Amino acid sequence: MASLLSSLRYLLADFIGEDDDTPPFPPDGLPDGAAPVVSEAIHRLIDYQGAGYARLYVERLRRFVGRRDVDAAMFGEIARLMAMRMSYEDPIRIAQQKLAELEIGTGNPRGPSADDVRKFRFDELVGALPAAVAEPVLDVLERLGWTRKRVSIRFSTKSRWGIRRLKIEAGLRRWRLFSVRYARERAWVERWLHMIGRSLAKQPMAASAIVQTADMVQGYGDAYRQGLIDWHAIIDGLAKPTFDGALPLGDLAAAIAEARAAVMPDPRQVALKRVIAEIRARALAAGANAAAG
Amino acid sequence: MDTSHLAEHAGTASSFFASIFVVATLSMRTMIPLRVFGILTNIILIASAIPTRNYPTLVLHAVLLPLNTYRLHQMLQLVRDVKKSVNSDLSMEWLKPFMTERKCAAGEMVFYKDEKAESMFYIVSGRFQLVESGIELPVGAIVGEFGMLSPSNLRTQTLECIEAGVILSVNYTQVEELYVQNPAFGFYFLRLASARLFENIEKLEQRLAQHATPAFAAPRPA
Repeated sequence: MASLLSSLRYLLADFIGEDDDTPPFPPDGLPDGAAPVVSEAIHRLIDYQGAGYARLYVERLRRFVGRRDVDAAMFGEIARLMAMRMSYEDPIRIAQQKLAELEIGTGNPRGPSADDVRKFRFDELVGALPAAVAEPVLDVLERLGWTRKRVSIRFSTKSRWGIRRLKIEAGLRRWRLFSVRYARERAWVERWLHMIGRSLAKQPMAASAIVQTADMVQGYGDAYRQGLIDWHAIIDGLAKPTFDGALPLGDLAAAIAEARAAVMPDPRQVALKRVIAEIRARALAAGANAAAG
Repeated sequence: MDTSHLAEHAGTASSFFASIFVVATLSMRTMIPLRVFGILTNIILIASAIPTRNYPTLVLHAVLLPLNTYRLHQMLQLVRDVKKSVNSDLSMEWLKPFMTERKCAAGEMVFYKDEKAESMFYIVSGRFQLVESGIELPVGAIVGEFGMLSPSNLRTQTLECIEAGVILSVNYTQVEELYVQNPAFGFYFLRLASARLFENIEKLEQRLAQHATPAFAAPRPA
């Protein structure tokens, strides 16, 4: 009977989740002081998605274990920021957090926590659904010109219906890894890790600055989208061409700091683009002078 | 003379006979015998539906018969192509019918080094480069076929699209399905992967020999 149930579970794994819920261990050979950060991140990701997702975190982290050019502080930051980015905020996450608040506040005499009303764009909401469902809906929304329309979502623990709704929303996490948003987040995390790796190989002094750029992408809605386009502008304009050898930038860390200082909540990125262009022009001129002299 | 009772008996007998084939079909463990028995079952059920004038069954199996035949043809062709590939140029073009098209813009990363590998790619057009080694892959190249068989399942290099183009991709799960459904395919696939691996080793040995030769040939400094 057990083996039959196990076979059924395997058959329906995509819909009911994985059978293996053994939490992963932190990788061997962690630098001093990193163990608590990694351990907390593993618990956070198990709570966020599951043991399999936490294993992916451990596998990604293992790339930096034992590297001579990654000190304890940098490793700790990679571990912390990667956990933060891997537990990105979507409507499912917010529902999970509200339910967790409710559990903590059960003994609280002031009763359930207040309502939370968040504004999402249509594409953001639909993007949290599995790609097979979301993509046709997004196509229709695109045709109607509604992808950027905003909708307010109430996350409430005040009524039984509100709690039931939160549980349904939180239950969507089973399909989160098939979502359009997850595919984008996965590509982003891989690109960030790739840039750290390339920096360690080409400009080790700038690696820490690259690690810290993960701070730029946070939250949801407009702030998240703005952070994302600013991050790509800095990486595409400064970091990648430097690693490719197309931009002779001696101090990439300083250039990133200068560009980050110009980041404004401006979708057209006027100030940021201007600063990046100035840095590039300076570096190219200095490179040309060095070649001539 | 009333022949309806004869038709009725013939229908009952052929239904019983067809039931044996239904059981035989469902007891098959792999895809090719399953399809063959499926086709035989379709033929018998069509034949038994004619005298009894059971038109819904007739229509259903008239639809299922070409479907089963087509799928059987696909399976046999796949095994034939893989077998042919093992004995000739080791190409993996036979995978193309199972792949989905994806457009890539210049600057787009197809995958990153150390990322968990989940699919393999066939380059149709455009220019693609392995970032770490700087090697540009030609149109028609297959990338990521060893990721499926390697124990770590990790990408060993980053693949960047340097000029917009089209690639075909197939998920490892799909290849695994083909492998499990069809033992003959699995056998030849393993032979093909091993042959490609040995070919790579041979190329590496040649390169090593090229690097080593000048060192031995060079005169010793005085």
